[in-house]
Amino acid sequence: MSGNYRKWPMILFLGFMTTPIILMYVYLFLDTVTNSPPGSMIPNEFTTEHWRFLWETIPGRPSIWAATWNTLLFATSTTLIVLVVSSAAGYALSRLNMPARSFFLGSIMVLHAFPTVTLLIAIFLILQMVGLYNTLIGVILVKASLELPFGIWIMKGFYDTVPWEIEMAGIQDGASRFQVWTKLVLPQVKPAIMALGIFSFLAGWSEFILPLVLAPDNKVQVLSVYLAALIADDNNFDMALFKSVGVFYVVPVIILFVFFQNKLMNIYSGGNKG
Amino acid sequence: MGNSKHLGLYMLAPAFLFVIVFFLTPVLLTGVFGFTNMSTATGITGGSYMVSQSSMQALKDRHDLSEIAKKLSQVIYTIDEEGLNAAAQEGVDAGTLAELKAGFLGQSFQKRRAVERAIKSLDNRPSSTRAIKKLSALFERSVLNIRYDTEVDLFAAIDKFGLPLSVAEKTAMSDVTYTGWVFTTDNFKRMISLPDTMTTLINTLFYVFVTLIVFNTGFALVLAISTHYMDAASAGFFRSVWLLPRITPPVLYVLMWKWLAWDTGFLSTVLGPLGFEPRNWMLDTPANAWTFIILINGMVGASMGMLIFSSAIKAIPSSLFYASEVDGANRMQQVRHIILPQLRFPILFITSYQTLSLLTSFEYILLATEGGPGGATEVWALTTYLKALSNYAGALEYGYGAALALVLVVVGVFLSILYLKLFDFKTLTAPPKIE
Repeated sequence: MSGNYRKWPMILFLGFMTTPIILMYVYLFLDTVTNSPPGSMIPNEFTTEHWRFLWETIPGRPSIWAATWNTLLFATSTTLIVLVVSSAAGYALSRLNMPARSFFLGSIMVLHAFPTVTLLIAIFLILQMVGLYNTLIGVILVKASLELPFGIWIMKGFYDTVPWEIEMAGIQDGASRFQVWTKLVLPQVKPAIMALGIFSFLAGWSEFILPLVLAPDNKVQVLSVYLAALIADDNNFDMALFKSVGVFYVVPVIILFVFFQNKLMNIYSGGNKG
Repeated sequence: MGNSKHLGLYMLAPAFLFVIVFFLTPVLLTGVFGFTNMSTATGITGGSYMVSQSSMQALKDRHDLSEIAKKLSQVIYTIDEEGLNAAAQEGVDAGTLAELKAGFLGQSFQKRRAVERAIKSLDNRPSSTRAIKKLSALFERSVLNIRYDTEVDLFAAIDKFGLPLSVAEKTAMSDVTYTGWVFTTDNFKRMISLPDTMTTLINTLFYVFVTLIVFNTGFALVLAISTHYMDAASAGFFRSVWLLPRITPPVLYVLMWKWLAWDTGFLSTVLGPLGFEPRNWMLDTPANAWTFIILINGMVGASMGMLIFSSAIKAIPSSLFYASEVDGANRMQQVRHIILPQLRFPILFITSYQTLSLLTSFEYILLATEGGPGGATEVWALTTYLKALSNYAGALEYGYGAALALVLVVVGVFLSILYLKLFDFKTLTAPPKIE
């Protein structure tokens, strides 16, 4: 398209604007395996010392593997809850005729746009009152609930694109609406479930504020809180260590992103956070 | 076919449950908590009644009962059965106690010296001064700094202390001695009277509008349009790179910015030979802090606009571009007359959605500057968090924080409903075709 215009001014311009990002990412990886002399940005030796946190626990911190396990548990559980609950609710909202359907849809839309961080204080106090403060279960339930309106909205959108003819045929052949959903419609939206699953997993993996406020304890610490606590500790400033922990933390994200980029694009443009 | 009604409700039920417990309840409770003085000092469940230095001060100041306050702040010595029994338990000579009971039961002394003198006056007095002191300590009576679970317990103790209270005095007393949280509108009065509130408000508006205009729509448009004029490979590359900030976990993303700005980081090292002092560029002046805050948030925000605008541009029929080129339009004219008119709706969409999410987001600011230097980059949502959930002194003001959050909740609900109206709700809720 638009073959009459030169491309290189555009590429040059964007390339210039993009340099800081590329620079930050290149040095993110570079600094974890090299040392540079003071006052220089050019590495002069290869080292694995910044990765020592993998085999020895940093004093005063939980083990990195415990934090990784917590993060995995947190991200997987929220994803499962979001998938199960929103694939059912999304179908009901997309296809089933029920009382106050339009009211439910409206509420989901309002909740979808609604900024959840404003509820943080109330949620914190509720968890304290019911005794789920500083537990993984508490923060999993909260994260899953806050993701739900978005999940339901996305699933509803995907169900909307499934042709009605499939369901009508199923009904003609004597299946119930529930069977139609599980046997005919769910297989149709498999890609959507996959995309929403990856999205929820990444959202859980990256989540910082909720675990920070609701489950800050060493025993239930997730990687984001672990890394933030490491950085905030003024007594042990070691940028290369921070970066190594950061790279360790981000690797699953990058792998998922590289493999499922196109699927995720669909969801990101669905419009969630800022 | 009639049972699809019920099926729908069953399928919605789990979602309903989650949403009610963790969405609607918090919204309502934010409203409730905003009108309380809940804090770490009051606790979050119930409270108890306690006469303390500060509650007696409050009794003087607020209720003008300085006489009672003065008396309750004192320690007195009363010869009573309780003290005598305690003394018998301690193994004090029975003769001494019998004489004490006969001579002084029911008497109170204002000073320790007075009660010691009374004991010394006995025939059967303890032999050493130490024993006298020890004995007199058993008759020490005070209501100061003792927690009573209910009002009734407190009044009973005060009665026993020898200070019967009238009904009005009791009301005043329970008001000042209650240590739990109570309902109050003080949070909102405080919010209005504090000059900090105004500063925070201005910071918030500045942050939202500058980030929104420069990056979330402005630069997003630049990205979408310039990648449109590229071959697929370079366009894909730039879009992926600009998505990186969004997919990188916030803690790590901000860490990379810190590396850039730190006093031993990239900027200081590179600018060092040019005569700039090494410094923490992110925190040295408010202007620099704001620059970084807006860059950090903007680079994340730009990607969403980029995706939406790009797909909107892709939807423009290519014949329009070809035709305009044949007619000799240059690139600026294409952008001005073909692309931008098509993007009117996406721009409106992005602007409204991002306004709300910027207004309430504080994650990146918390990680980057924590509102510093000296509160210069503190926005409303961050203040809410700092007041209620994170405080160096450890005194967390849940009530005041909830009041601040309530303002955001109200704005959030209002804007969400407004967007719903704006973005054509009807077409999204077309009724089902089977039934």
